[in-house]
Amino acid sequence: MNPEPTIQMPAQWSTIAPEVDYMYYFIYWVSVVFTIGIFGSMGWFMWKYRRRPGVKAKPTGHNFGLEIFWTFTPLLLLAYLFHAGFQGYLHGTVVPDDHVEIRVRGMQWNWEFEHPGGVIDTYNELKVPVNKPVQLIMSSNDVLHSFYVPLFRVKRDVVPGMYTSLWFEATHTTGEVTGCTQDAQCGEGQSCYYGNCIAQCQQDSDCWEAIGEGSWCGGQVGDETRICALPVFCAEYCGAGSGITRSAFDDPDGSGRNTNHSTMMADLRIISQEGYDRFLEVGPPPPAECATTDATCEGEECKACWGQSLYQSSGCSACHSSDGSPGPAPTWQGLWENQRTFMNGAEPAVADRNYIRESILNPQARIVEGFGNVAMPAYRLSDNQIDAIIAYIQTLSE
Amino acid sequence: MTVEAATAVPSDASHEAGDNYLTHERGLKSWLITLDHKRIGILYLASVLLAFLLGGVFAILVRTELMFKGQTLMEADTYNQMFTLHGAIMVFLFIIPSIPAALGNFILPIQLGAKDVAFPRLNLASFYIYMLGTVCLVVAIVVGEVNTGWTLYAPYSIGRNVTGAGSSVLWVTLGVFIAGFSSILTGVNFMATVHKMRAPGMHWKRLPLFIWGLYATAVIQVLATPVLAITLVLLFMEHTLSIGIFDPQLGGDPVLFQHFFWFYSHPAVYIMILPGMAVVNELIATFSHRKIFGYMFIAMSSITLALLSFLVWGHHMFASGMSEYATMVFSALTFLVAIPSGVKVFNWLATLYQGSISFASPMLYALGFIALFTIGGLTGLFLGTISTDIHLHDTYFVVAHFHYVMVGGTVFGFLGGLHYWWPKMVGKMYDEKLAKISWFLVFLGFNVTFFSQFIMGSQGMPRRYYDYLDQFQPLHMTSSGGAYILAVGFLIMAYMFYKSLRSGEKAPPNPWASAGYEWMTTSPPHPHNFEETPVITRGPYDYHLCTEEELWDGFPEDFPGEKAKA
Ligand code: HEC
Ligand SMILES: [Cu+2]
Ligand SMILES: [Cu+2]
Repeated sequence: MNPEPTIQMPAQWSTIAPEVDYMYYFIYWVSVVFTIGIFGSMGWFMWKYRRRPGVKAKPTGHNFGLEIFWTFTPLLLLAYLFHAGFQGYLHGTVVPDDHVEIRVRGMQWNWEFEHPGGVIDTYNELKVPVNKPVQLIMSSNDVLHSFYVPLFRVKRDVVPGMYTSLWFEATHTTGEVTGCTQDAQCGEGQSCYYGNCIAQCQQDSDCWEAIGEGSWCGGQVGDETRICALPVFCAEYCGAGSGITRSAFDDPDGSGRNTNHSTMMADLRIISQEGYDRFLEVGPPPPAECATTDATCEGEECKACWGQSLYQSSGCSACHSSDGSPGPAPTWQGLWENQRTFMNGAEPAVADRNYIRESILNPQARIVEGFGNVAMPAYRLSDNQIDAIIAYIQTLSE
Repeated sequence: MTVEAATAVPSDASHEAGDNYLTHERGLKSWLITLDHKRIGILYLASVLLAFLLGGVFAILVRTELMFKGQTLMEADTYNQMFTLHGAIMVFLFIIPSIPAALGNFILPIQLGAKDVAFPRLNLASFYIYMLGTVCLVVAIVVGEVNTGWTLYAPYSIGRNVTGAGSSVLWVTLGVFIAGFSSILTGVNFMATVHKMRAPGMHWKRLPLFIWGLYATAVIQVLATPVLAITLVLLFMEHTLSIGIFDPQLGGDPVLFQHFFWFYSHPAVYIMILPGMAVVNELIATFSHRKIFGYMFIAMSSITLALLSFLVWGHHMFASGMSEYATMVFSALTFLVAIPSGVKVFNWLATLYQGSISFASPMLYALGFIALFTIGGLTGLFLGTISTDIHLHDTYFVVAHFHYVMVGGTVFGFLGGLHYWWPKMVGKMYDEKLAKISWFLVFLGFNVTFFSQFIMGSQGMPRRYYDYLDQFQPLHMTSSGGAYILAVGFLIMAYMFYKSLRSGEKAPPNPWASAGYEWMTTSPPHPHNFEETPVITRGPYDYHLCTEEELWDGFPEDFPGEKAKA
């Protein structure tokens, strides 16, 4: 297996990637042969039979045999292509028995991943075990999306109103999940990132070559180090909301992530089976830059920091501003303990813990006056995460 | 056509009288209510060129935005509107009507030796219907701020969610349908004309291949466009009566919308490419001075493509959640399309063989067509093969593939035809040197723009992205650079045609020394095309049956063109 990227194809990170690439290169070489044949004979005829004084064209004859030949021989090649392509496709549709099942929900413009046991990860974060078939059962809350991991060579539309699925088996890890808080807690060559020990690539190392140039690595930190998470793209066009236009890739704090079709990405981390099991046990950890002493977030400061991180990573920033600027949804500045008035006939209320909790889990219950145009999707966050967001909202009113 | 018939159009006499279709009547009104197929062709030509200009401006805006990461010119939702406008205008208002309605209207009756099309009034009506469709489509997109892409996929396009087009999709579809309806009428008109109005002696095997191509196109237009009407009715019922058809919130099926869309839009791809191939047949024959090799095979391959085009729409949906069986069948049928396409390319090559090849500008477009269409066709194999399509679907690879087919194919065919028939249409020659320079820039710019997109796509860059990862920066930059070269090429071409209109040398009746029937009349043609109905005694490519006078008749001695070389 060749995980190295080539000029045409990104690196191979799944068991089916070599098969797809084999087909790709087979067709590529067939095309090269045909192109050389066609361009070559065309060029040769253009030269040899260029118009010259006194030289006339030869009258065209008939050659029925030749016509039949080039009408029917390509069929053999095409039949092979069809057959091989279909086989590869079938392989990609039949899931091995011992697989992990993960539910995927697409929504404008976030990915939600629900792991066995109902563990919902931080939005736009997908952790999968290495060397284990993983099946994704996908559905959409709103419009069409498409789950696409180029390094796995898998793609499938995510369609509202029906389930679609795909599976893959990753062949390399991108790092460990440990709930770490400092680099020192991780092994050599790893760094602590979002509570995970992640393989770190130094520039000029082999690993940089493999995952770096010509391939990709999301979550790049700095110019010399890359933290490896494979990007998941949304390949089916799903629009942009007015005024939601920040670039994911230029903002140093990544606040433009998941604000339109082109930034509807998720970070895919491939970890060991033990790391995955541990993740299922403890749930999504707070980000490493917030947790002070251990992985559990005590204290308002850590919570507000986690909340701010969720504000961006869960895509709240697509609609809500934190600085009072207007947008499709109410700003969070000054929201805490503010008097709210509603459209659907509900009594005015104060924005307290319960209200914010309800606004996140069941946003349609009470619609804030003047914000009926855009519907906020319901989010499924853990209690810890909701507490963190509340802590963050509190800081915005100080 | 007999030599007598040809010389029965004494070029000097009619020129002296100055009676051609351009000077026959004057004034704006005489154009707006004309029933002359030639004038209607010119009206269409002006409109499609305008649409092309508009679509091109949007393309440049899109490419400029993508030149650098992050925001360059516009915000994400404006960008989304730009590519929607680019796609919709180019496909529905430029490429589909370009060759049949503009060039076909002008040339088809002349090639048939007919005075006009079968139903001249209907012809004028179809022009105005096209204009109505244009207005409806553009206004709907601009006013409705439609940002769905030209594919209008539900449920995004039908609203009821965070953002989306809502009811404007009805108006867009209506515009597309009206424009499509005008092509139905043109198609019916052409079919009737071909069946009923051929000059004496022109049996089916003497029909120019351009006409065979347009005939096959007409069949698709007549059969496929009504599907748009059905879609429209369904959208309308869903919108007003809230019957769930496409919208999952009402219990509808969004994949069904894709079936409807591609059931029209895949055949539409052949509405676009077949006329391009049809033009190339004429160009290859004329500039090789040789009868097209395998005439019947080429004619039949057009008909076969027309029929196959109705059976392959599902290849756009391999990743959409279609059943495995459907996927298998559509993949198999799709591969069959390669056969008639290959037959054409091989026959063109065989025509060049032992020809007498001139590299006048129209021929450069024809040769460019063969090269680009070959690349476009071969990259189609990657997309027809299911396992590789899964990786490449909805990436720039697809974008590059269809631009190679649509631009490298249809637009090159259209431009070749425009250069070729320009002297006949306006009666003036153009600056061949400028034409060659602009051809070179267009060919180069096109390849730089879109070849880089193949690599981007296979590396996994999804399409319709406002922003992208670092690693794609060089390729995006290259692609945008190519777009600018392309634009410069087109500007030079526009200047070249403008200069020809202003001060072009007077065109002889047959500037390319062609055996084609349309060159037997004056340039520009008589209001009734021929002063006397011609009698056809040979095929349109029978160079070995042509006399020297027939080929070179009316050629000024000092004309710097083909004669000097012959
Ligand atoms: C698609 C846009 C959108 C996104 C994304 C979004 N919201 Fe909202 N949100 C709204 C709108 C619109 C309202 C006002 C209508 C309502 O009350 O439902 C709202 C209201 C709220 C309120 C009540 C605010 C008030 O002023 O009373 C809270 C709290 C809230 N959202 C939290 C969140 C959180 C937390 C997230 C991210 C996990 C989030 N929202 C993501 C659109 C959005
Ligand atoms: Cu999406
Ligand atoms: Cu198609």
